[in-house]
Amino acid sequence: MGGRDVSAAGPEIPLHEEIDIRLRADASSRGPVLFAFGTALIWLLLGTVFGMIASLKLHWPDWLVHQGWLTFGRQRTAHLNTMIYGWASLAMVGTSLWVIPRLVHRELRWPRLATAGIAVWNVGLLVGFLLILGGRNDGLEWLEMDRYLADPLLVIGGGMVGITLLATLAAREVGHLYVSVWYVFGAFVWFPVIFIVGNWPTLRGVESGAANWFYAHNALGLWLTAVSLGAIYYFIPKVLGRPIYSYQLSLLGFWGLAFFYALNGMHHLIGGPLPTWMITTSIAASVLMVIPVLAVAVNHHMTMIGRFSALRYSPTLRFIVLGAISYTAVSLQGIFTSLREVNRITHFTHWTVAHSHVGVYAFVTFALFGSMYYIMPRMVRREWPSEGLIRWHFWLVLSGISMYVIALTLVGVWQGLALIDPMVPFQRSVEVTLPGLWARSFSGLLLTAGHLVFIWHYLKILRGPAPARKIPPLHEARPVLYTGDGEGGSS
Amino acid sequence: MLPSSLAVLVTGAILGGLALGAFAWAWRRGHFDDIERQAHALFDERDYRLERPWESPAEQEERRRLYGEPLAPEPGEWGGAT
Repeated sequence: MGGRDVSAAGPEIPLHEEIDIRLRADASSRGPVLFAFGTALIWLLLGTVFGMIASLKLHWPDWLVHQGWLTFGRQRTAHLNTMIYGWASLAMVGTSLWVIPRLVHRELRWPRLATAGIAVWNVGLLVGFLLILGGRNDGLEWLEMDRYLADPLLVIGGGMVGITLLATLAAREVGHLYVSVWYVFGAFVWFPVIFIVGNWPTLRGVESGAANWFYAHNALGLWLTAVSLGAIYYFIPKVLGRPIYSYQLSLLGFWGLAFFYALNGMHHLIGGPLPTWMITTSIAASVLMVIPVLAVAVNHHMTMIGRFSALRYSPTLRFIVLGAISYTAVSLQGIFTSLREVNRITHFTHWTVAHSHVGVYAFVTFALFGSMYYIMPRMVRREWPSEGLIRWHFWLVLSGISMYVIALTLVGVWQGLALIDPMVPFQRSVEVTLPGLWARSFSGLLLTAGHLVFIWHYLKILRGPAPARKIPPLHEARPVLYTGDGEGGSS
Repeated sequence: MLPSSLAVLVTGAILGGLALGAFAWAWRRGHFDDIERQAHALFDERDYRLERPWESPAEQEERRRLYGEPLAPEPGEWGGAT
């Protein structure tokens, strides 16, 4: 445990002032955070329903085929977009708006602008979502929403949120920027750049394909991953009351991501009509990612080691730690998959679907669930009403995603081996996936149930049957003062 | 005819340039100085003093010695109803 001499950045602050700073920061972000979380959960519900329907259609191909908007192509696309831009992005926006004011010791600047930005983002997403269901999309993976009607609203809305965060950072009262601040601001700078390039309307053919996968991979690595890692770096030490094992490693992880990640996406196009050097560069960049990934993994593990019993007490930590483990898993799996000899088997199979769900669900969504469990009681000043509902939520989604990933990874390998064997008829490569597809739908039911439990619990905490949370303790307990000599005491 | 790599290369260069610029700014502003102190930037005094039920008696004693008498956690302190 670190000594007192390093317990605060900047001048020593009397305890009651620290609490005041925290209270003011929380109060300033309350409106936009609750709005972001609330709308994120609506999209989570919608995305879950569409994902479930799309999954069932894979083994009931004749189900719901008479109306265009119910066909697989639109349902699956609607699922992906609502989950990425609705659930994950909005929950990340809420988490960022809550954590940044706390870390820079300032109230959120222009919270109404942030709220308006979230509203604009939601309108853009709704427009894109309805157009997808109506059969109009841009035909690019992860970029299906209409680039003229929907995407500009996402850029404007995200920009409005980014401006409030930037203004808050500019007005900061701290000298040091904690690593979570780096991750969050990295994400808010990277995302508009990659989103605009991915949607650039003059790109055609192969160039469009390259920009598409440049975007899609970076949307995971430089947007979803960045904010989620920022949250993990905040909540693990915060709950444990101990600093991260090695702050140097945390910076290595961040700067490694910043410098190495951007060119990774081309490995999705192995075998495609792109210059070989581009693919090889991308594979090399992917392998280099092992450095920041291991830096993060070692750091999280060494922080938790000997303290895993804390998981029994902290639902937040339970979700966050599993999210952190999944980050390591999905990153190492991604590096492995980027190798040509592996990719020739796994490409175009359910392996890739499983891999993306380890990333977006087991890593990102778990980190966001954990964050929301911590943030919400501090926003509404009430405790979560039911320990049982949290437990149900946790075990339902954990068992659901575990079954999902294991089943699709296995059948992905069988499918890939069947696909590359010229002696095996194509039909066989489809048949071998059926057990995995059934398992996928069953695990989808578990995930759906888990989401319903969480949304129900969220509504309960908003309505407030649980005991109200007190003002954070010690608010009036004046004073416990830093003396700067390693000794503290109350008077 | 533009090469198929152009969009990705230009954007990759922009992102690399942004990272390099941010790194240089952080270096000049001293964000890589006093690294260990930065690791504590997310805590306030209360975080150190909370009694954590999963900690061993030795760890709790160390916490008491460094930060004073422990504070009882609020219900749901650790993020959830416990």
